[in-house]
Amino acid sequence: MTEYVGKPIPRYDGIGHVTGRTTFVDDIHLPGMLYIKVLLSPVHKGIIRHLDVSAAERMPGVAGVITAKDVPGKNAYGLIPDQPVFTPEHIRYKGERIAAVAAVDEDTAMEALEKIKLEIEEQTPVFDPFEAMQPDAPLVRPEGNVWVFNSGTTRKIRLGDVEEGFKQADYIIEGTYTNSTNDHAPMEPQVSVAYIDETDRLAIHTVSQDLYFHLGMLSAIFNLPMNKIRYIGGTVGGGFGAKNDIHCDHVAGLMALKIRKPVKYRLTRHEEMLYTTKRGPWTFEFKDGVKKDGRIVARKVRTIHDTGAYSGMGPYVVDKNAILVAGPFAIPNIWIDGICVYTNKPPASSMRGFGIINGTSAEQLQMNRIAEAIGMDPWEIRFINAWRDGDIGATQFTVVAAGLIEAMKRAAELAGVELPERLKAMSSRGR
Amino acid sequence: MKYILSFVLNGQPVDVLAEPTDTLLDVLREKLRVMSPKRGCDEGDCGACTVLLNGEPVRSCLTLALSVAGQEVMTVEGLSKNGKLHPLQRAFHEHYAAQCGFCTPGMILAAKALLDKNPHPTREEIVEAISGNLCRCGTYQEVLEAVQAVARGEYAEVKE
Amino acid sequence: MGECIYFAPTEIGEAVRLLAEYREKVTVVAGGTDLLPKINYYQLKPEVLLHIGRLGLDYIKEADGKLVIGAATPTSKLASNPLVAERASALAEAARQSGSAAIRTTATIGGNLANASPAADLATPLLILDAELLLTSTRGNRKVAINDFFVGPGKTVLEPDELLIEVSLPHQKGKSVFLKLGRRKAMTLSVVNVAVRLEMEGAQCKDARIALGAMAPVPLRCTRAESLIKGQVLDKSLIDRCAAEAVAESSPIDDQRATSWYRKKAGTVLVARALARAADMEG
Ligand SMILES: Cc1cc2nc3c(=O)[nH]c(=O)nc-3n(C[C@H](O)[C@H](O)[C@H](O)COP(=O)(O)OP(=O)(O)OC[C@H]3O[C@@H](n4cnc5c(N)ncnc54)[C@H](O)[C@@H]3O)c2cc1C
Ligand code: FES
Ligand code: FES
Repeated sequence: MTEYVGKPIPRYDGIGHVTGRTTFVDDIHLPGMLYIKVLLSPVHKGIIRHLDVSAAERMPGVAGVITAKDVPGKNAYGLIPDQPVFTPEHIRYKGERIAAVAAVDEDTAMEALEKIKLEIEEQTPVFDPFEAMQPDAPLVRPEGNVWVFNSGTTRKIRLGDVEEGFKQADYIIEGTYTNSTNDHAPMEPQVSVAYIDETDRLAIHTVSQDLYFHLGMLSAIFNLPMNKIRYIGGTVGGGFGAKNDIHCDHVAGLMALKIRKPVKYRLTRHEEMLYTTKRGPWTFEFKDGVKKDGRIVARKVRTIHDTGAYSGMGPYVVDKNAILVAGPFAIPNIWIDGICVYTNKPPASSMRGFGIINGTSAEQLQMNRIAEAIGMDPWEIRFINAWRDGDIGATQFTVVAAGLIEAMKRAAELAGVELPERLKAMSSRGR
Repeated sequence: MKYILSFVLNGQPVDVLAEPTDTLLDVLREKLRVMSPKRGCDEGDCGACTVLLNGEPVRSCLTLALSVAGQEVMTVEGLSKNGKLHPLQRAFHEHYAAQCGFCTPGMILAAKALLDKNPHPTREEIVEAISGNLCRCGTYQEVLEAVQAVARGEYAEVKE
Repeated sequence: MGECIYFAPTEIGEAVRLLAEYREKVTVVAGGTDLLPKINYYQLKPEVLLHIGRLGLDYIKEADGKLVIGAATPTSKLASNPLVAERASALAEAARQSGSAAIRTTATIGGNLANASPAADLATPLLILDAELLLTSTRGNRKVAINDFFVGPGKTVLEPDELLIEVSLPHQKGKSVFLKLGRRKAMTLSVVNVAVRLEMEGAQCKDARIALGAMAPVPLRCTRAESLIKGQVLDKSLIDRCAAEAVAESSPIDDQRATSWYRKKAGTVLVARALARAADMEG
């Protein structure tokens, strides 16, 4: 270990990067390769009443057209597989895939898309998660607009008795915090290259961040055993969670299986920004009970996560968020309800931290609000409440190797903040 | 309609067929298979497609291919001479100025355009020169240090 | 993409002949920095592309006491040319703050004006410098004051057969200032920009020009605000009233870059700051 720790190690892929020789997926070109463009829903919500791709199929330069009918296996994917590769009927967000064309080049594929006859019966969409939770809201999904966890329509975390805690408190401090949608915007847009190899296996060059996750999903979509899929990854031009979900490999793979020719499917930056998975928006409603000495004795948080039209990683990020949103603080009474709501927007999924940093940003703003409300220094409120070894966390675990106090001391040092002696004297080893 | 386009690419004359609406990036990547300029946005915002046109940095995705007729285009492929890396390439490698590497070719060329004109830039001048090249991995500090190292002459021994 | 034909004439006569022949079918391309995003994303499918980069319209010179700039002069040259710095410092500053190095190499002054974005950075300095534009066609030449050039977002008085070939600036007195607020420091379109020119005699303002960008359907000369300070002795309170008046003349919209509310707030601050700077009342 000591051979490497604290010493710079040359990157094995560095020379490729600085010479431009690193082969990213869009840099792959195969003889006779065709280019895919996908017909995306122009409306936010509706039902496909008529779809006729025959004119596109007949167009010169077009090698094939696929729709939901061309999915040999399960037309659904995702951590909880609920999103169709091509929607057979229901449109739940603008940008939902309807059909794909492979042609000699992208210009021709675009022209072919215009030849597809599509009739949609438009329906009223819902975009606001609070509206979507109302009983009379338009249904995004037949089963209802709120995700059902094992524990019901909310992800529950309970410690102690929060109402009892509020009774002991000298102050009740409430705060609501929101985050907007984020796109990951890796510099390399989503892309996939697929072909049938010389051993008759389906080969896919992918930008996936999760090869083994995705291999399983693709195997179900293609109805192919995993050993019939050569899933080749490893060179990714940035992911940040955007490449934790499949965006191109399913379409490219299905097309290659149907037309048995090499294909490339890449998203434009516009398509990627508008229609791929996002860090979904959140609302955090905090209610804290605080004693005069700054100790937080009760924390109640309701979180509302807008996961868009499909679950993506929504339920997973709500789960992670709920576990961590109370913060690294010794609070004896905690009550958290996480809600994951469907709206007619592109599915929300993972992005750098799976819902944790959204929660942390809200929780840290709330800490400042508490400090302000009770007239205490924002450093002090954190020092006083920080976990010590042996404290009990929100999910009823015992804290070991706590380090927040030491980290804050170091942060203060680096920021040039002179902490009072009583804070400097504190330690994570005990209270 | 297709037109014959002749220009000089990395010191070599090339002829290629191009449509009027083809960009220089289309021609380099899809026709000549010169792959170091990357397609990050196709609308001028990211800088991954940066190449040098007569020594000046341009967005190849915003440059009509036919408009470069007779002119000199340089990509990162033209940087290393006789198998020897350009000082900027060595510095970028040794300073970890490439993480995923997608922005790197454009970043190196933006830096080269600066140093060719201004071999001893200030920190601000370097920041300004690369301000049009986005790096989502966030290597800006490392890029800055690599360019500064080259400007200090630390990689001078293989300078042409 | 259907068949498209391409011309790159080397003489203006040839260029205007092609314009007269193909009229609405022609898309003039200078640097292409505004056009190519539209072509790449299939929002524009040109039938005839007329590239004007070889017409010899890339020049900056002095003629008859005027500063004369060819329409195909790239922004990078406006940013670095000593004549522009001396005679039109607000224009030089606007050029320096436009796009990024690789955009400025190709983006042209003519393209910036003909594109007629309300946020065009070079428009406001040219408004306060009383620029005159030279348009040409097979029907002859005509001169248009920049204040009469813009009609609406993306719309100018250019006829389909006309080419913008030159921008000329009369010799100007006074100090000109350009300030820009974008969403980031570099490579960003203006949320609001302002250009002012003040001719001062001591603390008294002899003449004034104020223009606001991204605050109305067109780059806007604020004449009411100008008359408020012409002939007056400037002080902080008059400058603040003038700034408020300039913004009152504007009609900013909400868009992806900012809200109308924010543009008005920021615009008022920017105009006041620019006036103070032009009047040497601030560092
Ligand atoms: C990443 C990026 C950043 C940018 N940043 C800025 C910025 O900070 N500030 C800013 O103001 N702009 C900015 N722009 C916009 C653009 O670069 C400028 O407007 C530029 O000056 C346009 O010039 P061009 O030569 O590239 O125009 P082109 O794209 O060639 O043409 C633009 C329009 O003008 C017409 N046209 C061009 N020349 C003539 C002529 N001589 N006669 C008649 N019609 C003509 C064309 O037909 C077209 O309609 C940015 C663009 C990009 C892509
Ligand atoms: S691809 Fe040209 S700037 Fe992004
Ligand atoms: S290294 Fe990944 S974008 Fe710059």
